[in-house]
Amino acid sequence: MPNNSKIRNTEIIEKVSKPSAIPYANVIRGFFEEVTQLTRFTFRFFSEVFKPPYEFSEFLRQCYLIGYKSFPLVAITGFILGLVMTIQSRPTLAEFGATSWLPAMVSVSIIRELGPAITSLIFAGKVGSGIGAELASMKVTEQIDAMEVSGMNPFKYIVITRVLATSLMLPVLVIAGDAISMYGAYIGVNLQGTVSFHLFFLKVFESLDFSDVFPAVIKTIFFGFAIGLIGCYKGYNAKNGTEGVGVAANAAVVLGSLSIFILDMIAVQLTSFFI
Amino acid sequence: MQNKTGNKIKLGLFVSITVLIFIVGIYFIGQKQQLFNRTFHISGIFKDISGLQIGNNVRYSGINVGIVEDIEQVTDSTVKVDMQIDEKTRKFMKKDVRAIIGSDGLMGNKIMVIMPGTISKTEISDNDVIQTTQPVSLDDILVKVKITSDHMADITGNLSTITQNVSEGKGTIGKLLMDSTMAKNVGQAMVNIKQGAGGFKQNMDAAGHSFLLKGFLKKKDKDKKKDTK
Repeated sequence: MPNNSKIRNTEIIEKVSKPSAIPYANVIRGFFEEVTQLTRFTFRFFSEVFKPPYEFSEFLRQCYLIGYKSFPLVAITGFILGLVMTIQSRPTLAEFGATSWLPAMVSVSIIRELGPAITSLIFAGKVGSGIGAELASMKVTEQIDAMEVSGMNPFKYIVITRVLATSLMLPVLVIAGDAISMYGAYIGVNLQGTVSFHLFFLKVFESLDFSDVFPAVIKTIFFGFAIGLIGCYKGYNAKNGTEGVGVAANAAVVLGSLSIFILDMIAVQLTSFFI
Repeated sequence: MQNKTGNKIKLGLFVSITVLIFIVGIYFIGQKQQLFNRTFHISGIFKDISGLQIGNNVRYSGINVGIVEDIEQVTDSTVKVDMQIDEKTRKFMKKDVRAIIGSDGLMGNKIMVIMPGTISKTEISDNDVIQTTQPVSLDDILVKVKITSDHMADITGNLSTITQNVSEGKGTIGKLLMDSTMAKNVGQAMVNIKQGAGGFKQNMDAAGHSFLLKGFLKKKDKDKKKDTK
């Protein structure tokens, strides 16, 4: 018997180490394996999210850590975005004598696209990497296994609370970031001209429509979901000890940011199809 | 424990303020679309709406008072435009108001402009169909510009022929300006007229000393003196 298993093992090793006929076969196979595992992870999320017990207290704690603690970063980024966008757009509009269009142009650009995209990228950088690293270190130090042994459901406690928190907090951060961006844009307009606060916001709301605001906010729920899910997936499946922690954190940011762009592209197509 | 409660309060405040900002934003956008105002509806029939879209502003006396609510093709050559107008402006709108499709600046959106009616007329009612004026399209302007430029081309062609004829001394004006014989003849005619006028003056002086006209001339002098007194 031991001889037989030895022979089988050698066969497997030979099979695996044999160079494949298709170039990058391992990469392609690895990609599809990853997609399958991520899909399974997503299904598990949806199958467990509605089942009790609900970790409400942990969810609120995560909302505080993910949402409230990210606000200063989002606020500073949003303010600079509005200010810079206005200052950079002014010369082009001035060529046409259309500087009065600055509030309308900047508000539509920020509310529709730049605000959600930039805030989500910042969020992916801060929160996605944080979740990836935290869960990966829990995995490699066997804390997740310990939770399972003690009868807790680590998936519910760790993954579901974090994914729900990212999905709900990102839209809130985007709205707050957009509001601060508009204030930054108002200061930007007044650096080289004079527009009253009332007139500026009148022009902003005059140019905006529900079709600008709602799709932009709704898509950020999906962005948040993707960032949280990818971060949790990468952390939850971390391997190779402490080295795996860095890899998981890095992969969470890269894949999270990529998923934002892919989802954004789909959202834009859907929005233009329906509106 | 206290720290946990503090965090929850901070989170609650943060979320509440953000949601409030969102609601205020939605309110202002909705107000622009007359969502939170009482409104009434009017419509107008146009042949061509020149790219007017649902949601475009309706202006009365230069103020945004409503939006274009619906656009419907009624027949092959008529389009019905439904407008939603703020109830507050109804008292100023009379039955004979007139709608025209305009543009918000050179590069701006299309707008529906409602021209005021006669003060003596009655107030406009809900679902009234108002009179319309067909908008002047850019194509119409271009057609008129083309006709005008064709006429200008004809005029400049004719002017060119006339000036050529004048410079060649053809026609009366050409001869007058370019022919030296004509100029000499005119000069001679002027000398003759001058000589003739001198002779006529001498004849008239002689007639004044004649007994036949003496009485008439004296009477004329007397009348003149009376008038001066």
